[in-house]
Amino acid sequence: MKPQILTKTIGLEHPIVKRVIEIAEEILSKNKVLNVETLYNVAKKRLKIPRNGLLFIIQYLINKKILIEGSKFSKETVLSNYVRNRIYSYIIMNPGVHFSILRKETLSEEAGSSGQLVWHLEMLLKFNYIKKIKVGHYTIFLPYELDENVGRILFILRDRINNKIIHLLIKNESFIKSDIYKEIDEKRADVYYRINNLLDHGIITLNQDLDNRMCINHDLKEDIIKILDATKSSIKKT
Amino acid sequence: MVLNWTPEVIVEIFASIIIFVAALLTYFEPRTKKIRSLFFVRMGMISLVLFFVLDLLGNLFLSTILIRLYPIMLFPTTIFFIIGINYMIKESFNSILLIIAFGAGVLLCYLAFQPDAVAFEFRWGYIDINPVGMFEVMEDFLSFFLFIPVFYWGLKTWINAPFSIKKEALIFFIGIIIVAPISLTILIFYYWDPVFIIYSDITLSIGVFILCIAIFMEPKILYILPFSVFRIFVKDRNGYPLFDHDWSESNINEPIFTGFINAVQLMSEEVMNIGGLLSIDLTEGILILNESEYIIVGLVASKSSKLLKDSIVGFSNDFEEIFQKELKKSIIDKKEYMAAYELIDKYFSNFPSKLIKSRKQPLLLTGKYVKIPLELENKLRIIFPDEEEYEAIKTELIKSPLSFTYGFTKLYNELKDEIEKISDEEMKYLDENYERNKQ
Repeated sequence: MKPQILTKTIGLEHPIVKRVIEIAEEILSKNKVLNVETLYNVAKKRLKIPRNGLLFIIQYLINKKILIEGSKFSKETVLSNYVRNRIYSYIIMNPGVHFSILRKETLSEEAGSSGQLVWHLEMLLKFNYIKKIKVGHYTIFLPYELDENVGRILFILRDRINNKIIHLLIKNESFIKSDIYKEIDEKRADVYYRINNLLDHGIITLNQDLDNRMCINHDLKEDIIKILDATKSSIKKT
Repeated sequence: MVLNWTPEVIVEIFASIIIFVAALLTYFEPRTKKIRSLFFVRMGMISLVLFFVLDLLGNLFLSTILIRLYPIMLFPTTIFFIIGINYMIKESFNSILLIIAFGAGVLLCYLAFQPDAVAFEFRWGYIDINPVGMFEVMEDFLSFFLFIPVFYWGLKTWINAPFSIKKEALIFFIGIIIVAPISLTILIFYYWDPVFIIYSDITLSIGVFILCIAIFMEPKILYILPFSVFRIFVKDRNGYPLFDHDWSESNINEPIFTGFINAVQLMSEEVMNIGGLLSIDLTEGILILNESEYIIVGLVASKSSKLLKDSIVGFSNDFEEIFQKELKKSIIDKKEYMAAYELIDKYFSNFPSKLIKSRKQPLLLTGKYVKIPLELENKLRIIFPDEEEYEAIKTELIKSPLSFTYGFTKLYNELKDEIEKISDEEMKYLDENYERNKQ
């Protein structure tokens, strides 16, 4: 004999199940804490159904993932999201990273849009895991504890040609602008573009006493050397 | 023939009836019958019924033979209880308690047939026959010894009971407390005044009566210890999920789990040429897979058992029969198979759900049911055109701090503008791997 489902199937269309969902919606919309006890008490009072039946419905809703376990995010729980955690880890490993790079490096094709990345970034910002700063017209992201100046330098040093220019100026104290591109063996236009940027960001300055030769901003020099050393040692370690 | 009606006989009639009812309830109440551990516990109860029946008949007919026989019934009672409870907890018969109980039982049998093992006594104006001397001591020893597994059973059941049946498990444990420590404590006073045997029997009856109520209210309490079932899932032969049901919250990573199942299916089918029922031992449990013509049903449980294997085969067969039409058409919409929930009730109704852990367990509604202002909904729908992603974001929204969406939309617009303004040339400077990636 063919087995049949004889009893009335409990489902999301069942009127009492619908009512329990509505009650849960109502509790949440009032910004109250929703837990088993509050949902049970309110539903029991309104629906007047037996304890076991109501618990069965709550269990059913948890089973069908209509009700999910969890509360408002806290600093501890916000990283439980796998994608968010991956984004945070990437920022820790690559401080001063720009949004466009994050989008490419942390989101796989099937796992999320730019909107999702912004969502996770805002969550990390809200819970003080990261901070954002503007470097020129670029928005970059840093671990919350990292100094903004250091972050700015790190962002600039991420560029290979910037890196070469800085290394050159540290090694030689000062250099004539027109000779730099030859020394580092890069295209003149690319190097000039960077030099202007570095001047805008105050990383390098023109030394009036040395015929406007380029040199590292004296106030930042120590920081830059430290960052370069740290970068070198982290590269060696990896 | 004049029957020797004494107060003890009358109390024992009630005690034996109540225990017999309890034994019947452990058989008739649960929908699944073939649990080995429960079979032994039930046999223990029936032996205890025989203990009381032989005692009362011995006194009723003043038969020394029956009075010699009734304490012997404690031997199988103890053995059955120890085996049953041990099997429930460890899926093994062996234990130190069993060896001790066996030794004491053999000694009890030997003492039962010694010349002065029983004696007529005159109490409260009635004549009765009782074990005396070493035979009596050994009988009481086994009674107290029986207390250990029974109390342990009640305690473990109560501790391990999930929230949804905690109340019934507490009633069950209260019954056990009355049966074991309270009634036995009263029995100690029997040495001071024999009248306490009646009080002890009355307490025992009350305790067993409470046990009956608890089992009647919720037969699942008998299934708390034998095994925990975590999840059942049904997939079609192409690996598409059709139905799943959880008994407890799992931290299983879905894609990994699905990949694992598909790999196992492929390996068993094509590489090893194994079909049908397959059990895979996991570190903290077992995965039982049953392959049939259209579907693969998997069950994750704490341990394997014949009962679970039979249940999964029955479930698979019924699932295929009920949803034959859908399966033949290769329908993969899970909504079409929602009615399979009734099959869970048919085959796995005895296993308690552990989804609700405590009354304070915080809950949230899934994204689909979260109501948000229309304006915000429209904005989010534009940002997240993919329905699945939109639902996931809505689920997160409800957990987010107040004014989060304001910050999110602001940041989204800022970054969107920024990306639009950044030329391809500038992007090259931002990305150290730009050129390499382009190649």
